[in-house]
Amino acid sequence: MVAIVCLDDKNGMCFNGRRQSRDVCLRSCVMDLAKGKRLWMSPYSAEQFAEAEGGQICVSTSFLEEAGPGDYAFVEDRALAPFAEKLEKLVVFRWNRVYPGDQYLDLDLTKGPWRKTEERDFPGKSHERITMEVYTR
Amino acid sequence: MKGQIISIMLVLAALLVLAAGCAAGKVEEPLVTLESIPEYSGEAYVAINGNEPYFTQAEITDEAYEMYSELDALGRCGVTCASVGPELIPTEDRGDIGSVKPTGWHTVKYDCVDGKYLYNRCHLIGYQLTGENANERNLITGTLYLNIEGMLPFENMVADYVEETGNHVMYRVTPIYEGDDLVARGVLMEGYSVEDEGDGILYCVFAYNVQPGVEIDYATGESWLAGEGTSSGSESSEFTYILNTSSKKFHDSSCSGAADIKESNKEVFTGSREDLIAQGYSPCGRCKP
Repeated sequence: MVAIVCLDDKNGMCFNGRRQSRDVCLRSCVMDLAKGKRLWMSPYSAEQFAEAEGGQICVSTSFLEEAGPGDYAFVEDRALAPFAEKLEKLVVFRWNRVYPGDQYLDLDLTKGPWRKTEERDFPGKSHERITMEVYTR
Repeated sequence: MKGQIISIMLVLAALLVLAAGCAAGKVEEPLVTLESIPEYSGEAYVAINGNEPYFTQAEITDEAYEMYSELDALGRCGVTCASVGPELIPTEDRGDIGSVKPTGWHTVKYDCVDGKYLYNRCHLIGYQLTGENANERNLITGTLYLNIEGMLPFENMVADYVEETGNHVMYRVTPIYEGDDLVARGVLMEGYSVEDEGDGILYCVFAYNVQPGVEIDYATGESWLAGEGTSSGSESSEFTYILNTSSKKFHDSSCSGAADIKESNKEVFTGSREDLIAQGYSPCGRCKP
């Protein structure tokens, strides 16, 4: 499973059960990344992908349990540590801003086994610069 | 914030009544007491009322507007409220706000503060949301910590949401003072996204007007390094100067040379002489400010 997360400058993901931010350009990038693969997400996340075309999006409340090898999972409001062993790769989108946070990424990417293998910036609609980082084992 | 849990009951109803222009309909009077706000313990903000804002149905509107209370008898800001939408988001860069001197203001520096300056002129409703520059009804004396760690994250979240969705967010910021203090103990921040009924934005938090490493006398704005017990910051003398942004000269406000400056090159600055010199300005040879 390849997990995709969006983080602020403090590794935050959500506040009060709501995503910290969103960007239509980021969603487009996610769809491109997962092209030809299954893209799993929660019903909450699926609301913001409503405009996405094609049948690659799989929606389930237990999507992290159901996603298999090679599948992508867009994770906004779930802990990832319990699924760490399933992760083949992690894609992090950084907003490069600070938002309120009370749920944070529960993986430490500064330590092994994670290794950053790719990094690139692109402009968003409401974000001047979004950074995409790819971590592999 | 000194001491233990603040025991003072501060009823916000009076402030919220001032929000009579907050929406077209009637304004409820939610009672909020500071008893429920815990002492600062290392987090810049804390959820209040289970993160549920106090907006009433009568106050919620998808018509953009902004409201800033009149200053009170002490010159302090009160509640500010807006329905933030794409109509209000500014398209120009922020202007100078140095001409406003909020209650309790001191230009004071500490080595332990990032950028040195303890106090910021804190927008209650952030510039990025409603485009208010030097509006004295929207600027309080706030620590750098309150501004950057406490308030900015919420402004960022709301600004992004509005830009991405085109929806409106009910946005209210209420400075909370103890008695006749000139500096607020913090601000109550409330947010609610209108069109999706809070699915996108929903919060109610108190952001602390504190600065780690510095203690503040909220009655006056005086401050000192934590543990020293006396005013110890490096305070700059603060005056109002007239700037010529073209020649980079600064003048005393009574200088005849100031009157000759073209309006397009003229700016009012309130702050220290040292700061102006650091910004590349030099004193007028006539008035020698």
